[in-house]
Amino acid sequence: MAGTLALTKAELRRLVHNKRYFIFTVAFPVVLYLLIARSVTKTAYGVSFGGYYMIAMAMFGAFSGALNGNAQRISQEKKEGWIRQLRLTPLPANAYVVTKVLVSFATTVPAIVIVLLLGRFYGNVHLPGWEWPVIGVTIWFGATIFAALAVAVGYRFPPDQVQPVTLTVYFIFAIIGGLWFPVGGFLESIGKFTPTYEAVKIGTDVIQGGSVPVGLPIGLVIWLGIFVALATVAVRSTAETV
Amino acid sequence: MSQYGTGYGASGSDGGGPEYDTHGRYGGYGRDGEYRTQAGQDDYQDHAAIRLAADHAADHAADHAADHAADHAADHAADHAAGFGGSRRGAPVVTFENVSKHYGRLRAVDGLTLDLRAGETVALLGPNGAGKSTSLDMLLALRKPTIGRIRMFGDEPHHAVKSGRVGAMLQSGGLMPEVTVRELVELVTKLHPNPEPVATTLKRAGIAQFADQRVDRLSGGQTQRVRFALAICGKSELIVLDEPTAAMDVETRRLFWNSMKEEVAQGRTLLFATHYLEEADQAADRILVINRGRLLADGTPAEIKERAGAKRLSLRLDQVDEPFLLGLPGLVNLEVRRHVVQIQSRDSDATLYAILDAGYRPREIEVTSLGLEQAFLAITAEDDAANGHAYAGETN
Repeated sequence: MAGTLALTKAELRRLVHNKRYFIFTVAFPVVLYLLIARSVTKTAYGVSFGGYYMIAMAMFGAFSGALNGNAQRISQEKKEGWIRQLRLTPLPANAYVVTKVLVSFATTVPAIVIVLLLGRFYGNVHLPGWEWPVIGVTIWFGATIFAALAVAVGYRFPPDQVQPVTLTVYFIFAIIGGLWFPVGGFLESIGKFTPTYEAVKIGTDVIQGGSVPVGLPIGLVIWLGIFVALATVAVRSTAETV
Repeated sequence: MSQYGTGYGASGSDGGGPEYDTHGRYGGYGRDGEYRTQAGQDDYQDHAAIRLAADHAADHAADHAADHAADHAADHAADHAAGFGGSRRGAPVVTFENVSKHYGRLRAVDGLTLDLRAGETVALLGPNGAGKSTSLDMLLALRKPTIGRIRMFGDEPHHAVKSGRVGAMLQSGGLMPEVTVRELVELVTKLHPNPEPVATTLKRAGIAQFADQRVDRLSGGQTQRVRFALAICGKSELIVLDEPTAAMDVETRRLFWNSMKEEVAQGRTLLFATHYLEEADQAADRILVINRGRLLADGTPAEIKERAGAKRLSLRLDQVDEPFLLGLPGLVNLEVRRHVVQIQSRDSDATLYAILDAGYRPREIEVTSLGLEQAFLAITAEDDAANGHAYAGETN
């Protein structure tokens, strides 16, 4: 475990120097929130637009951080042989993947904290104190499960194919999951099964009145199971080529 | 027999010798390290090739069993002045028991049986595609053998890797980008249960002077030395290196082997794969020659040279009786160019005496030792001939 933590620390140190990561996970949602949150006066999912959009943008930044950067890096590090090099050290076999997930626990945090603060002080979202951590943790969990999907994609695809694959997943989950605009009608009838929709809806339901349909958190856990299964298969099936 | 294709980065010093080139028919190593042969094959070369093939086929089954054991006994008896591991020999560190690795129909490794003992410095020598890297991958638990069993320190290779008893550097091993050399070495050092001080590793690997540079901004030779540092940053008993000096210039290579010498002097066992024969000759006290996944020879550099018929006898005869020459003792290969006879022999003394005893009075007698390079080429070419494969040279 000490080795895994040492590797996690090194990974975090790398990330601090990575501008791309900050642009995608923090700058994008912050800019979008500043531009749009106050210019829409309608409500969404039964809450103020500023409230909905705060949750949607926090989720957007956090999930793209867990998915895009990770998948690309894993694929690159697999190709360059860093994963192989680590397998020659006394690190446990799963340490690399565990590290990537642990790092994602941390990398999803800045987007969530910053966007929620924006919501409070710029978007006029006023909530009882306990609702903030509930919303934050929900988004955090909903976004971090994408780290498992990133592992699956990164192990399965070479670096030049990772970009189109992650972008496809990213757009689908962002659009039909209702991160860019609230979904309704036909789009919602499909989109309600996505983890992004589920995480956002839990948040807006909490703001609305505190009662959350049990199907939403269960849905998130099912997605976690699916992503972990995909990651496990991808890692196992590529064991001899890493 | 003679179509060796491109050579193995010959240094030229113990190549075929430029004097033979003037005879036209004899192939030799040019300055660029390429093996050259005349296109025209003479009958004698063909004869010789057939003899070799027949010899080899007969020997073949025995080769892997009896010969191996015999080689081995000899190996232990022989003195190991050649390599810098000296003659310290101990418990088995690595054993391969009839190990094969198949990729579909391709047999990358085919029935490999060998053992390494503590304190040995062993070179794994073979052309590209011979199965060196696959063998090392299996040893390091990166791949599983299709058939057979590998043991390291009497246990599954996996356990040896996880307990830090082996340090390894593979061609395919990459480095973490975006960190400095020092940060990377510190990280991997932390992963070892029995680490060396970071400063010691940096110094031994010769990377202290660029320790604060970023890993992704190093030259090929520098990168190679950082990988080496990662292989020696724990106090491992066995060090495995795959083509360690690839991408290094001559000076760096020399420094590398000097630091390697220090590692071995501490009683570590060293296994390295290479196709630089000079390195195998100078550094190893035991050489394993593999080709197409099979172990062809196992012995000291001297034994390997001897086995391949490692003396070349050149002489001028006024009258050449080819059938007589082909029957000479110790003969491995014969080439005749008018009155100049070139004989490759396992026992040049016996060959020469037989010529003299038959009443010949040859002139311009020269006996030269073949280097390990020719021995290696002879052994692999024998194997290829025996198996009906033209040796295709290096294939990448």
